[in-house]
Amino acid sequence: MADVALPAAAAPADHWAAMAARSRRRRQWTTIFLYGFLAVASLPVIVPYLWLFTLAFSARGGTDTAVLWRALLVLGPALLAFAMLGHSIDEPRRLRHALLVLLLVTVAALAVVIGPQLHLANWRFLWNPDFSDALKTGPTGVGSQFPNVWVAFGNSLALALAVTAIVVTVSTLAGYYLSRFAFPGRAGFLKSLLVLHAFPAMTLIIPIFFLMHWAGLLDSILGVVLVVCTLELPFAIFIMKGFFDAVPWDIEMSAMTDGASRRQAFLHVVLPQVKFGMLAIGIFAFLRGWEDYVFVRTLLIDKQNWVMSLYLFYVAEDVMGVDYGIVTAVGVLYVLPALVLYTFTQKYLTQMTVGGIKG
Amino acid sequence: MARIELNGVAKRWGEAVAVEPTDLLIEEGEFVAILGPSGCGKSTTLFMLAGIYAPSEGEIRFGGSVVNEVEAKDRNVGIVFQSYALYPHMTALENIRFPLRFKGVAKEEAERRAEAMADLVQVRELLGRKPSEMSGGQQQRVALARALVKEPQLLLLDEPLSNLDATLRLSMRSEIRRLQRRLGVTTILVTHDQIEATTMADRIICMSKGRIEQVGTADDLYSRPASLFVAGFIGSPPINLIEGEVAEGMWRCGDTALPCAARPGRTVLGVRPEAVRLGGGPVPAHVEEVEPHGRESIYLLETPLGQLRAVEPGAAARFKAGEQTGIAFETGLFFDAATGRRLDTSLEQAA
Repeated sequence: MADVALPAAAAPADHWAAMAARSRRRRQWTTIFLYGFLAVASLPVIVPYLWLFTLAFSARGGTDTAVLWRALLVLGPALLAFAMLGHSIDEPRRLRHALLVLLLVTVAALAVVIGPQLHLANWRFLWNPDFSDALKTGPTGVGSQFPNVWVAFGNSLALALAVTAIVVTVSTLAGYYLSRFAFPGRAGFLKSLLVLHAFPAMTLIIPIFFLMHWAGLLDSILGVVLVVCTLELPFAIFIMKGFFDAVPWDIEMSAMTDGASRRQAFLHVVLPQVKFGMLAIGIFAFLRGWEDYVFVRTLLIDKQNWVMSLYLFYVAEDVMGVDYGIVTAVGVLYVLPALVLYTFTQKYLTQMTVGGIKG
Repeated sequence: MARIELNGVAKRWGEAVAVEPTDLLIEEGEFVAILGPSGCGKSTTLFMLAGIYAPSEGEIRFGGSVVNEVEAKDRNVGIVFQSYALYPHMTALENIRFPLRFKGVAKEEAERRAEAMADLVQVRELLGRKPSEMSGGQQQRVALARALVKEPQLLLLDEPLSNLDATLRLSMRSEIRRLQRRLGVTTILVTHDQIEATTMADRIICMSKGRIEQVGTADDLYSRPASLFVAGFIGSPPINLIEGEVAEGMWRCGDTALPCAARPGRTVLGVRPEAVRLGGGPVPAHVEEVEPHGRESIYLLETPLGQLRAVEPGAAARFKAGEQTGIAFETGLFFDAATGRRLDTSLEQAA
């Protein structure tokens, strides 16, 4: 043992300085490479959105990309400046000021570069259901087929909210029961939840159509609500069970010895622990109801029952020549609620993994 | 406050027996500890008393009335869990007040009582905080206040100190004891820590494998253990157990012979480490290791009877590792090797 010794030679002082410099350089290059890669990789995601928005406010029937490229010319450098400012200024107040200046400069530059091309004519469908009449001839034209867009918007909202309410309620109760109670067939039930989730729902579309027909629910929003809920529930229940599994038994037992009934313990003590799970489930259910196209296309016929996805489809489907200005404006109106919801709740959605993965 | 009775209470989970039929009587205002290793059924017993588990057979009586069918929420029992089980989304005040909201206590009254209880356990300045903003010791106090605020007829403590650091444990021990005396509430402490049980409880119930091994005071369990299990479980460092054979009034193991009045047969001699006298005696011993503990020194000895432990008071060890000496047993207990029960006779001589 005694003859094992570490070599005592340490590097001279100037070597340390050289190594520090090398490490600094490597970190810089890593940062540059990382940001460059992320910027390039996010382009295919961001550009289509930007195109959608620019077209909605500037297109005059066609799909002109001039405004898009000009906007990118301003926004690209602005984003780069934003990232660099965030990196180089530590003090919050100065950073706020710098960002405010950047914002003003960007807006001013946009106003100069693309300002003259912007107009709101593409949004006329908001107040004029017969918006296409200007393009087509007479009251027999395609334009008169369209219902008021707010009817479709309201239908979409009703569909999405109903799906949300049902999915959250049922999956919470079912998840709690699966997490806390033993009953015959529990293991099989859990397995079948996963199988059902993986099952391709499209293969069921014809039986579903007949089922709805026989049940008298064809061409009714309620029918679509039931179908979408049924397909959403297995996974939602599974996720909620995971959230309940993460709630310790102790606090529930404690609540019951503190005088609460099982139901009171559930409401006052257990439920508050899974509220983020319910929020996440609710948001996904809402988006699922909001985005649905296949089932509304199959099950809804009357145009008073149209939802936003059908409205968008018929606006874009016009064989006599499509007005892409209107298509993109409808698209923006359609995507906006989902974007807003997602932006404000994404920090809760990421919690899905916390409780959900455990199964 | 109530007198608690268990008459033949047992708990089975399918085939597995968690608690065998058990009889027990706990007097009003008494502080009792249930002591045993993990999985001995002590927590199951506690949960049966709380009404969380229903006993498979037997009856539980609170103050003379059978409560088997009474739901947990109506038993008026306070529990402090090992994890404290505070409600994470409520502040300390809301936690302490929680049991009162189901008793129909008016809000101002509930607030007043919660604050009074917070004063008693010294968490007044923490009332606005959530559990995640409190230390373990503070959570423990809040949990205690929550269990006591409803003026329970029975207080159950499930390993309440095991998540605290050593210093805090020491102070909480005496504090819980002080509180219990002051309020006079019948209290059952479940623990696997013999020091906790012996220092806090009036009486100790020692359990093993779902059975009560012995009920008695700390001194009963230490000096007169009913069985090998109790003898081995109580005492630190643990008792030395040496298996031998009794014949013709003598207990023999190898070359060692000691007088023993027990019936002939396989017999275990139990000698507490402090009853092993070092420095001259009939049994040769080789000192393997010495652990200085300040107040005492613990010796690990290699002898013909097997490895033995001895304790001597004082920090300065009289012997060093590697030295050779002789030992003698001052006192000892005899146990039947087959049944594990302690025999009437004991070793009372300086050999």
